[in-house]
Amino acid sequence: MWQNFKNGFIKENPVFGLYLGMCSSLAISTSLNNAIGMGACVTLVLIASNVIVSAIRKITPDEIRIPVYIVVIASLVTIVEMVVHAFMPDLYTSLGVFLGLIVVNCIILGRAEAFASKNGVVSSAIDGLGMGLGYTFALLLISVVREFLTTAGLSFVNPFDPTQVIFSFTIEALEPYTISLFSASVGAFLTFACFAALFAVLRERSNKKEAK
Amino acid sequence: MKKALQLVLFLGIIATISGISVGYVNSITEPIIQDNLLASEITNLEAMYPGAEFTALEVSDDSGYVQGAYEVVGEGYAVKVQTTGYNSSTPIIALVGFDSEGTITGLMAIQQQETDGFGTKCFEDANIDTLYVGKALGETVDLLSGATVTSTAIQNAITAAQTVVAELVG
Repeated sequence: MWQNFKNGFIKENPVFGLYLGMCSSLAISTSLNNAIGMGACVTLVLIASNVIVSAIRKITPDEIRIPVYIVVIASLVTIVEMVVHAFMPDLYTSLGVFLGLIVVNCIILGRAEAFASKNGVVSSAIDGLGMGLGYTFALLLISVVREFLTTAGLSFVNPFDPTQVIFSFTIEALEPYTISLFSASVGAFLTFACFAALFAVLRERSNKKEAK
Repeated sequence: MKKALQLVLFLGIIATISGISVGYVNSITEPIIQDNLLASEITNLEAMYPGAEFTALEVSDDSGYVQGAYEVVGEGYAVKVQTTGYNSSTPIIALVGFDSEGTITGLMAIQQQETDGFGTKCFEDANIDTLYVGKALGETVDLLSGATVTSTAIQNAITAAQTVVAELVG
């Protein structure tokens, strides 16, 4: 079970290992706030959809399992979207269309089909948590690099109350050298490529160790 | 045949349960979202006209674009419009400012999720100044090339707002 959970981080990290859910992770990873907000939303939807899919796996007819999963996932995403809209309007505005697009995020349907439909409720929930945190972790890495390179600092505000700054700093000496390229999609791809290469090396190493 | 019915029934049950739960959450969040929008409207009106006083006006509008109108005491009018641009799931909501003669003085988006770099150009300050500001009543505002869908939507909304303001100016 612990292995399942840990797999989500490096070996089967959904973004850097399985290359799933890249559209949203490249688009919204411009700031730490977006990354944490999006990561939390995806994790919630992922855990809930895994639990529900796993709970109804025995009564779901095989022929229509994908439509059933999609109905379940779409309702969960709509619920999360409405809650975010009501309680975190700033996050809702900055995530924009990508919040609703969690429906078509392949990590969620992928885990429902590959894991939750074959495993018990508890291990599906843990798989959802692991994958969700893996996705959040990947978003965090990309967004920290991008936010730092574009603003020479990092900041994180309370999503429930935008006036409450949790932490914020800028290195003034670096401010003249910010690279605005990294707030554009090119920067997202560059950052992503470097991390993907790093994760490939880490995977290679751990595979070799296991072989020995 | 029996199998098909079974499948339809199962999917129907799932869809019903989902529908009920989404509806339930919506009934909780909808008033909060509305409250937030109203609160942000006051903030927006104040952002557009700092220090001004506002009174809400009753207006009639057949076009469906105008959501509300406010008199800005001593300045003119502000009209809240809603229109659908390129993003059909999230409409554009904006405030259009008019002076007491009915000439457009500004436009401010309250909510928009148009395509970044294309539709969003319509909401940039420089473009707002050239496209909309200074147009008197009866003049149609210009479109923006590269953002035709979004700027057409705004054009329709502004035309509707101008009709409403024309009645107010008298």
